[in-house]
Amino acid sequence: MAAPRTRRQKEIRRHLWIYGAITPYVIIAVFPIYWMVITAFKQNPDLYRMDVFPLWFHMAPTWKHFSYLFTDTNYAAWIINTMTIAAWVAVITLLVGVPAGYALARLRIPGSENLGISVFMTYLVPAIILFLPLSRVVSMLGLQDNWWSLVLVYPTITIPFCTWLLMGFFKTLPTEIEEAARVDGCGYLGALVRVVLPVSVPGILTSVIFAFTLSMQDFLYGLAFVAPGDQKPVTVGVPTELIRGDVYFWGSLMAAALMVGLPVAILYNFFLDRFIQGITGGIGK
Amino acid sequence: MTASSSSGGPDAASARAAAISVASRARTSGWFRSQTSRRLGVGYLLLAPAVLYVLLLVGAPFLFSLYLALSDANVGEPVASFVGLANFRAALESDVFYIALRNSIVFTVVAAIFKGLLGTTLAFLLLQPFWGRKVVRGLVVIPFTLPVTISVLSWKWMYDSQFSVINWFLSRIGLVGSYGSPDWPVWLGQAHLALAACIIVNVWRSFPFSAIVLLAGFTSVPTEILDAARVDGTSFFQRFRYVVVPMIAPILLIGFLFDTVFTLSDLSIVYLLTQGGPANATKILPVLAYQVGIQAGALGRGAAISLFLFPLLLPLMILLLRNLKRRED
Repeated sequence: MAAPRTRRQKEIRRHLWIYGAITPYVIIAVFPIYWMVITAFKQNPDLYRMDVFPLWFHMAPTWKHFSYLFTDTNYAAWIINTMTIAAWVAVITLLVGVPAGYALARLRIPGSENLGISVFMTYLVPAIILFLPLSRVVSMLGLQDNWWSLVLVYPTITIPFCTWLLMGFFKTLPTEIEEAARVDGCGYLGALVRVVLPVSVPGILTSVIFAFTLSMQDFLYGLAFVAPGDQKPVTVGVPTELIRGDVYFWGSLMAAALMVGLPVAILYNFFLDRFIQGITGGIGK
Repeated sequence: MTASSSSGGPDAASARAAAISVASRARTSGWFRSQTSRRLGVGYLLLAPAVLYVLLLVGAPFLFSLYLALSDANVGEPVASFVGLANFRAALESDVFYIALRNSIVFTVVAAIFKGLLGTTLAFLLLQPFWGRKVVRGLVVIPFTLPVTISVLSWKWMYDSQFSVINWFLSRIGLVGSYGSPDWPVWLGQAHLALAACIIVNVWRSFPFSAIVLLAGFTSVPTEILDAARVDGTSFFQRFRYVVVPMIAPILLIGFLFDTVFTLSDLSIVYLLTQGGPANATKILPVLAYQVGIQAGALGRGAAISLFLFPLLLPLMILLLRNLKRRED
């Protein structure tokens, strides 16, 4: 009777030790989000006090920071811009990335490994080197100060990444499905469209999510190419437009941040493993 | 594609009796050749849009930035003339450039050390089986998944000169005086603190990434090998040093290179927190390139400054390239 209890005690002690060690990490990671939430719902007089415990409400929570965003700012337009931009970017990424990933993974093109790696490496060419020449390209096309410029440039980030991701995904599919399709008289394109794409929905979905989230991580292109307040994507509009001179309306800023940040974080979280796999080239589970 | 019939046909007709096998082989190879060329044709066709997009919007702009850097291009005047290396020389002769270069390196190195330490310890903790591990993992990766501008805003509010929640805690536990006293930290207003504040945000944002990449590496080490090493009487640190690290070295390197490239070339944290101030204390190369190239309108000089990042990034990218290649084989 004694043995199981001590094993159990050992197990409990081990857990306590781990929780103790990991709690600081969790607090460090989550605290800024908590601070964002509590700020977004606090009334202004409650926000600017130094005498009370800051992590809880001392006046009734309020929705007015949220309603302010939709009545007095371009917030709704930014959200719509962001969603439209991301949708276009996702479409372009898929139209370009799926065929390329498939060709690199399955059609035994000479040098396909090197080609795949070179496409992927362009993901690492930093925006800070490209944004000045791209600003010229954007103005030559007459797209400056218009969110279409971002639809044009964001695929430079998403195509390399998603092509690489999809290439890895296609490699994991059994070759038999295409062989069967070809025996049934499909060409290469027919096999791709009829049998490969339908079983690739998870890979394609992942690419769409990353096209969305990667384009929402951008700050520089949005800042450099789009000046009018109503054309910005939300991740650029919030930090650049909601601040009037030196005055920060922290309540509405945090409300705006929360409404964008949380859904993206949650979405991203679901696909994080695939993201890591995409970067590390398939090692790990 | 029509080659199969023409090459197979005459062959079979001329050597009718003797060479049925030869004919059929010729036909097979012709068929095979056409299949190959068709496959490659389709392959290159499918690949073309991606290669074109990348060449037109990454390759060409990169070359164009070289051209811009050698010209006196301005936002206002579309016609630029060749000025040779004047922009590079101007950068090398300005004090701000050296400050920015130094800050960039300090920022990247110090941040990398902390990301390594925090990431490794966190990865070890997440490697242990415990109740609620999935939830904990989901929570600790939040910083990495939030859009960067969003999280930087939250930090800016936490660093507020008067209502900083960080300072509230520090003063309550007695580490700093109360508001208005000389040791009340003004995070974004004092030179050393401002750089530290930017590094803290970068570390906060990226250490979960280090941890997750390391975790992927750790879990890829087969347990049998670790058990075998344990049976041989090795200590935990010996196993880590001589078994785990060599096995996951490629993954470590990839994670490290990725993070370094993004840290070196990121503008958003510093730009949103301090815009490079106070008194250039947080000026890093990307911020300088943006301020010169866009805000001051000197495209040529801005391009030259941003190109100084390239020699810093190139060795990292070559290392990464070789590493990825080796792993493909």
